[in-house]
Amino acid sequence: MIRKLFDIIANNAVPAVFIIISAFAIPLSGFSASYLVQELLTRIGRNSFLILSLLIPIMAGMGLNFGMVLGAMAGQIGLLLICDWGIVGIPGMVLACLIGTPIAIVLGIFCGHILNRAKGREMVTSYILGFFINGVYQMVVLYLMGWIIPITNPNLLLSRGYGVRNAVSLSGIRAVLDNLIPTIITNPEGAKQFLNINGSGSFLLLQLPFFDGAIRLPLATFIIIALFCVFIIWFRKTKLGQDMRAIGQSQSVADSAGIPVNRTRIIAIVISTVLACYGQIIYLQNMGTLNTYNSHDQAGMFSIAALLIGGASVSKATITNVFVGVVLFHLMFIVAPMAGKNLIGEAQIGEYFRVFVSYGIIAIALVLHAWKRNREREAARRSLRGNKGGNA
Amino acid sequence: MFVAFLKFLMRWFQRLVVLAALIALGVWLFYIGREHQIFLDNKTLGDFKALEQINVRVNDSEIAELMQRERDVRKVVGPEFEIKAEVFNEDGEIINRIAKKIKINFSKDIMINLPAFAAGEENFIVPAPR
Repeated sequence: MIRKLFDIIANNAVPAVFIIISAFAIPLSGFSASYLVQELLTRIGRNSFLILSLLIPIMAGMGLNFGMVLGAMAGQIGLLLICDWGIVGIPGMVLACLIGTPIAIVLGIFCGHILNRAKGREMVTSYILGFFINGVYQMVVLYLMGWIIPITNPNLLLSRGYGVRNAVSLSGIRAVLDNLIPTIITNPEGAKQFLNINGSGSFLLLQLPFFDGAIRLPLATFIIIALFCVFIIWFRKTKLGQDMRAIGQSQSVADSAGIPVNRTRIIAIVISTVLACYGQIIYLQNMGTLNTYNSHDQAGMFSIAALLIGGASVSKATITNVFVGVVLFHLMFIVAPMAGKNLIGEAQIGEYFRVFVSYGIIAIALVLHAWKRNREREAARRSLRGNKGGNA
Repeated sequence: MFVAFLKFLMRWFQRLVVLAALIALGVWLFYIGREHQIFLDNKTLGDFKALEQINVRVNDSEIAELMQRERDVRKVVGPEFEIKAEVFNEDGEIINRIAKKIKINFSKDIMINLPAFAAGEENFIVPAPR
């Protein structure tokens, strides 16, 4: 009984701690409910796709795919090229995906082959691989673009004539997906005011009687995220999905059952990398600015942090973990600086506190997982020996 | 042996068809999504003297009011746009109204010489300034 209770606490410790901290930080921040909901909806739309791309490698027992930054880099190359060519709107976004896809596939195959040579150490290997490919990416973007790869837009190039600037404006595709189906949520009174000011234009107006204020909903982005969730649920039931789950349970048993383990693992990483490429494009269209040399670094770390905060572990993650994680992690982003300012008079203290707590908790999540796995192994060993309670 | 070879060929054919479809999609997206700068130039070009005043609207953009020797720019997306112009005389009266659909296809930016455009000249598109 006590062990069961302990297991429940250990399994949900990370989200529970975040909920408790948020419960204190939200009133301290003084933000209105509509502001918090607006910010959260924006951040759910911006980040969920990237985090969802982590689920498939976890299913295949490859842990958290730090190599998703490879896909993010592929997406950024697509974005840089469409910026140079002046392709805007949804066609620009789709073209960036189209350009990024083959690059992401090649990088995913490369990553998959490397990870197959480092079984059991996939996370640290993919983390270091991210740094390696980052070097290649920087060489391409800093030296080859404008020299070998033609870039004609002077706003993209450094003053020396080659290499891309650090900050690139994505004004041509900024929020095109978020605003594809413009949607406003407000109460009936707010809806009347809105219609008086804007007229009955081409937007969707959802009225909630109890809602205070007005918020914009990135409906098209949410539809794409929902479709992706449906894809993951469907994919789990396919032959390939079942193979991945079998490999995630035990590679040796899967191999004995005739499942091509290495090939399936490569496919899992390729899918994750390609989806991370699309996720990064969705993320950056929402931001409207591409930080050429840093955006992808943040993508990997923040996505993994959010997933762990949502209660996922290295070996098990669900769609629920993704959404719980993105809400809790980004709630801290929103409220921590203002809570710190109101509590101590310094916003920076709140930000330090958020960084300290967020990443400290991620470390705890990983330690808890390792401890739990060791305990399960010990229990399995004991049960094989027929010794249920005592020492070996 | 022959059947296996046919299957191999068929598989590669299918892959090539998918690849060609993706390339075609990319080209189509490039065609319909490209943003063009349209320079509107009210300067003398050969025999076509600069106009006193011309008001120009490109698609649904803001109207550009151009006096003699003035130039302005508008942005359009896609391979085709509509230009509407009103030519004024010295007294401020409209003396000519022109509306035309222009195709720019794959070229990036173009410049329209408005005196030549207002005179009905065919070659009113000149190279855009860099």
